[in-house]
Amino acid sequence: MKKLLIAINFVFAIMVTAFSQGKAVTGVVTAAEDGTALPGVTVVEKGTQNASFTDLDGNYTIQVTKQDAILVFSFIGYTPKNVSVAGKDAVNASLEMDVAGLEEVIVVGYGNQKRSKISGAVGTIDTKEITSLPVLRTEQALQGRAAGVQVTQNSGQPGSTQSIRIRGTGSLNNAEPLYVIDGIPSAGIDYLNPADIASISILKDAASAAIYGARGGNGVVLITTKTGSKNQKPQITYESYYGMQEPWKYMALLNAEEYGILMNESRSAAGLLPLEALSNPSALGEGEDWQDEIFQRAPMMNHSFSFTNGTESSSTAVGGSYFVQDGIVGGEKGRFERYTFRINTRQDAGDKFRMGQNINFTHLDRSALAENNEFNSVVGRALNMDPTTEAMRPDGSYAYSTMIDSDIANPANQIALNNDFWTTNRFVGSVFGEYDILSNLKFRSTMSVDLSLGSHRVFSPSYDLGIGPNDPDRPAYEWREVNGLMLGENKWSNWQWENTVTYDKELSNGDDVQVVAGYSALNNLSTNFYGFRDSLASNDLQYAYLNNSLNAQEQAPSASGGTTASAFVGQFVRLNYGLGDAWSLSGTVRRDGSSRFGVNNRYGIFPSVSAAWNMTELPWVAEKDWIDFLKLRASWGQNGNADGIGNFDYTSLVYNGLNYTFGSEQVQTNGAGPVNTSNPDLKWETVEQTNVGIDADLYDGKLNIVADYFVKSTNDMLAVVPLPGVVGFLPSATNVASAKNSGVEFAVNHRNQVGDFNYSIGGNIAFIRNEVTDLGEGGQPVATGSVFGIGDLVAYTEIGQPIAYFYGYETDGIFQTDEEAAANTSLPNAQAGDVIFVDQNSDGVVDSDDKVMIGNPHPDFTYGINMEASYKNFDFTLFLQGSQGNDLLNGAFRYDLNTTNLPVAALERWTGEGTSNLYPRISHADPNQNNRISDRFVEDGSYMRIKNVQLGYTLPDNAMQRLKIGKCRVYVAANNLFTFTQYSGLDPEVGTRGTLEIGIDRGFYPSARTFIAGINVNF
Amino acid sequence: MNQKTTLIIGFLAVALVACKQEFLEVQPLVGSTEANFFQNADDAESATIACYNNLQQEVTNIQGSAQLAPHFRWYFGDICSDDSHKGGSGDGDEPELFLFENFSGNSSSKLVLAEWQVAYRGIAYCNLALDRIPGIEMDQQDKDRFLGEASFIRAYWYFNMVTMFGDVPLILGNLAPSEYQQARSSSNEVWAQIEADLTFARENLPRRSELSIAETGRATWGAASALLAKAHAYQEEWQPCNDICLDVMTSGEYYLDPDYANIFTESGENGPGSIWEIQYMNASGGNWGNQLEGSFTNVFQRARGQFGGYGFNIPEQNFVDEFENGDPRLGATVFQVGDQMGDRGVFSLEATGMPHLYYSKKFFINASDEAPFGDPNPNGFSNDRVIRYADVILFHAESAYHLGNEGLARNSVNIIRSRARGGNQALLVSLGTDVTGPDLLDAIYHERRVELGMEGHRFFDLVRTGRGSVELADWGFVSGTHEVFPIPEVEITLSGGLITQNNGY
Repeated sequence: MKKLLIAINFVFAIMVTAFSQGKAVTGVVTAAEDGTALPGVTVVEKGTQNASFTDLDGNYTIQVTKQDAILVFSFIGYTPKNVSVAGKDAVNASLEMDVAGLEEVIVVGYGNQKRSKISGAVGTIDTKEITSLPVLRTEQALQGRAAGVQVTQNSGQPGSTQSIRIRGTGSLNNAEPLYVIDGIPSAGIDYLNPADIASISILKDAASAAIYGARGGNGVVLITTKTGSKNQKPQITYESYYGMQEPWKYMALLNAEEYGILMNESRSAAGLLPLEALSNPSALGEGEDWQDEIFQRAPMMNHSFSFTNGTESSSTAVGGSYFVQDGIVGGEKGRFERYTFRINTRQDAGDKFRMGQNINFTHLDRSALAENNEFNSVVGRALNMDPTTEAMRPDGSYAYSTMIDSDIANPANQIALNNDFWTTNRFVGSVFGEYDILSNLKFRSTMSVDLSLGSHRVFSPSYDLGIGPNDPDRPAYEWREVNGLMLGENKWSNWQWENTVTYDKELSNGDDVQVVAGYSALNNLSTNFYGFRDSLASNDLQYAYLNNSLNAQEQAPSASGGTTASAFVGQFVRLNYGLGDAWSLSGTVRRDGSSRFGVNNRYGIFPSVSAAWNMTELPWVAEKDWIDFLKLRASWGQNGNADGIGNFDYTSLVYNGLNYTFGSEQVQTNGAGPVNTSNPDLKWETVEQTNVGIDADLYDGKLNIVADYFVKSTNDMLAVVPLPGVVGFLPSATNVASAKNSGVEFAVNHRNQVGDFNYSIGGNIAFIRNEVTDLGEGGQPVATGSVFGIGDLVAYTEIGQPIAYFYGYETDGIFQTDEEAAANTSLPNAQAGDVIFVDQNSDGVVDSDDKVMIGNPHPDFTYGINMEASYKNFDFTLFLQGSQGNDLLNGAFRYDLNTTNLPVAALERWTGEGTSNLYPRISHADPNQNNRISDRFVEDGSYMRIKNVQLGYTLPDNAMQRLKIGKCRVYVAANNLFTFTQYSGLDPEVGTRGTLEIGIDRGFYPSARTFIAGINVNF
Repeated sequence: MNQKTTLIIGFLAVALVACKQEFLEVQPLVGSTEANFFQNADDAESATIACYNNLQQEVTNIQGSAQLAPHFRWYFGDICSDDSHKGGSGDGDEPELFLFENFSGNSSSKLVLAEWQVAYRGIAYCNLALDRIPGIEMDQQDKDRFLGEASFIRAYWYFNMVTMFGDVPLILGNLAPSEYQQARSSSNEVWAQIEADLTFARENLPRRSELSIAETGRATWGAASALLAKAHAYQEEWQPCNDICLDVMTSGEYYLDPDYANIFTESGENGPGSIWEIQYMNASGGNWGNQLEGSFTNVFQRARGQFGGYGFNIPEQNFVDEFENGDPRLGATVFQVGDQMGDRGVFSLEATGMPHLYYSKKFFINASDEAPFGDPNPNGFSNDRVIRYADVILFHAESAYHLGNEGLARNSVNIIRSRARGGNQALLVSLGTDVTGPDLLDAIYHERRVELGMEGHRFFDLVRTGRGSVELADWGFVSGTHEVFPIPEVEITLSGGLITQNNGY
């Protein structure tokens, strides 16, 4: 607290210091070709970091430090222009089209840099790309937009997270990038309104991310939100869309008749008589389509307002939005709602001191259904539920199945009874002060807080699908005698204080130098409190509170809760040196310390160097007319990956809760002891990356190419290396493992203008190879990914192989005759119709030693293709995105239960010699374990998806003037219009569960196809 | 540079340095670390309870992985014997157990690994308590008792290990990283340690009659004595076995519940004949969450279909046939078609959906008695009756027989038979003097099998008495190999090869 007070005093101290002379310059920036105003143009005072942007009418205001300042105007797609202020107050500029965007200033860690000078690998996504496709979550804006950035949804349910892998999976632990929003490292970005975002930079190589030290190892996503600009007229923007979502695919499953035939066959194969209910399959007909029972069309809607205004010395941007999306499973039972409110303001106090505030408040409401597991997910149950059971009886009550029990309960009833709500209120705010100590030496101090309050409420009503009371035939999961309630309150609060000094000078010999040095301190605190109670007096959600119990005396509510904290400090310095126009050199060192690191390794040092060589002026390049610009880049650096480390992982905490029951009253008595061994050496994972790249602009800027090659090695990777059992305590993670990701990335863009017709086509593609290179002493593989339906762990992480590859038995067709089966003694229980599992080591037994790699969940390459065209007032975009060569494991079916419904492929089962060499006979007994983990369940997961197709029309200006509206665009769009894939499951875009379960489909909640109509209006 | 800027830069420098000091020294706000625990009597008691905690482990995470493995006592004791077979939904449900049942299980099985890891985890907590409690200043009597409890539990684990695996590493303290790789000690050394620990426990544990009601379930003099008697019996040290059995029988601490069937009901828990029971209570567990309060055994052994169980541990015909005509214990041990399964309905093949004619009964509980937490398949409350008084009496019979006291041996068997017949004199006639020699030994074995059936003893009894190759021949038992289970392959690797594999695996 004392330190906090010092910080606040310090900021105030600076605020009241020094008011000295500067100068405000205003002006209008227009496009040379048609004289229209250009919004969003970056205006920078040369040799300083003073920068501003034009508003929607092309107006800007900038504070310059001297009368003869030179202003640099840059805008994506236009040639930058240098204009001398020469003492004037108003400076207008007219920019020429230039496709390359070389002089564009892009956001990098703790500063900005011109694209032409950048020596690392940085991908950028601009406002236009973010807002062009209505994205539900900010992460979606990254998908397919930047080479080497793989974004996959972890579920199609509204509000679900996405997993982002920048240049492959670089860790066995946390592989998600660091998000930095307006300078604040942030856990999750679901609180952002995508419309508030001005730009996104993705720091891919170690050199660019090095300034984030111990947390930059998985890459960094820098997000900058919109601010207003000075001297700007008040402007209001309203954007809205309405969309209808629908499932785009049903899995082809058996109908009731087919199910009856197969079940009878399966029972008979096990020596059981057919079930009475299935004795006449042809009478069963189509039966129930359970997918139809759970999927529905579901609406989504967005309203977003923004207001910007600027005065002589200040600017304000206010944004508010409301977003609601229902699920295609369960409708409002799977709803996500987001309300956001943001104010970003900037003020000048004299010409040496500036300050600003960013304040964001977000309210999230989420109602969630169980998803993506094989035990209680709605989708999984709908796929497995037998088609002979109707969802509802004629009287409107939900029915239970007499064919299947265990985990497979009626999913329609599950949806109806689901009450699982998360409410989050999140406040993120920062205030900064910036002071020019000298004209080229600037000090900046930023204090920020991130406070998140999350409430969780789960009410499980009692119910009974039995016919009459105490129906003995109802399965265990189809009735619940006693209702129950869980209420939880969570609080996460972080503060960060960051001070930087920036020195920027153009030397007399034409070289320029920029130094950024800084210090950052961060503190996290989280607490939670949970209460539980059963036997509530009412079965109505409305009255579901802890004090509302039937047997308040007998059964007190139980409660749990805890709190934990961590602290983080960093010091960093970066030197950029521009040697003439040809060379840009950069070096960074950061030293980070974390309370999460073991006492023997509290601090780590992370260096990097990089260089760019602008070859444009070389004679052999200059003489080629078709080369406009050519730059080679090379970088090397080390980062850390530390965000996956828990707060006290390094020590051996004594847990209360090693309890035991004593007494005739069965009382839990507290026991306590350590659970893990301690590891005082615990530290970050070290990510070392070398990158070489080339940037080229060809043919008058019509063709723009960026190519990169990288080798990214993660060492000191945390892995839990099994200890000998005799140690007794569980092993803690140690820094022993290594992995390597290497690959190439290409991005190509072409744009052109023919009369009124503008078009562009761009694509990016990345080929990444992932390999585990070390797993510590013994090198024991790590097995993960339990898939219950096939009774095993299916993912394996092993030296020399990609992370979490699929591991199981190779198959070699089906035994066609009993003689053939008997001849194969490695499978003693096999008979005709059973699967031939390969005895890899030829030891005469097929056992777990014969498991091999049966699939690789990592794609050979991922790509995105973006096409845009505009003609007069019409605009059109088409955006494709895909993944090639990745395998998926289809684990949606509960083969262990014998009586689940099955994919129609089961109709092609073996029924006699020569009938099938792919699908085995069906048997309740399954003595050969045909459904054990094997390549039968691995499928090609490649896909190409038309992510977005959109047609827009901007209303003509004269009409707008009559309506007193600045600009109005209406559009229609479709998301996920078509998906091209061979995968048999509901969606090929299956994300991850943790880091070590990739592409395992346990009845995946698919993403929706969405049709959208929207309007954007400026006043 | 003017004065003001110098000042600011100076301020900055100070701020940077000031913030560095101890900023990163964050202490856990909840709980303590290994370093500051073991301070007082409460800590000593908590550390002792932690030793008990591990006894309840039935389904455990394989060390450091997400993989769950069950390792019930009845997996090896019953299913690997001629009393029962695996059951489940088919051969593919717990396939490794299917292999062990047929004596083709191998060292890569997670079942043996779970057994190994859980035992050593339990031993580690005992070692920690035995190492740290002596240094705590506290009431000496309490201290001795805690040490006695930890010694008893350590002996219990080593008893399980030596009977499962034969020679095993003998770990008697917490290991430093340099000591992690340990070789096997001979089973003689392990048995000697078990005897030493139990002798210490006998001297320091209270008698059952000295426990308060709230302490029911804690280790007693009787438990340590009975386990010591068993340890001697397993080594065929019949005289000490006989002495200790007699000690227990004359202590006045235990008597046989007149109603055999009552032993396995809720009210029969910790009953008059209960010597050592692992305690469980009703718990929500259908989400496989809180594994250590309730027992999975109830749901695992209950019939499938409408009975909502998983249908494991299916009694064999051979076992059912072992019961003499009218032996009431059969009805308390096995469900047969047509039996009422408590409040869950009548046992028919249709209702279970499986072809099995029998189900295990001793762990059956009524739906109405289950955890009222709204969980459709909650964990059950049934305690695991590890050592019953009948077990001690039958060891008395067996040891007396081997010591040549056939009369005493018959007498002890007849005590068991007398209780079993429940007052119906027409049943289970007492052994007469005509039952002698090998016939008497067979009668003792027979009595053990039916009295203690489905309680996890049979496989180990067969091996102990050298009858495995005869009784289990049909399942593939080979003498010289299947007396013990394979050492987990992973443990051999992690020991750097110091641990060797058992013969034949």
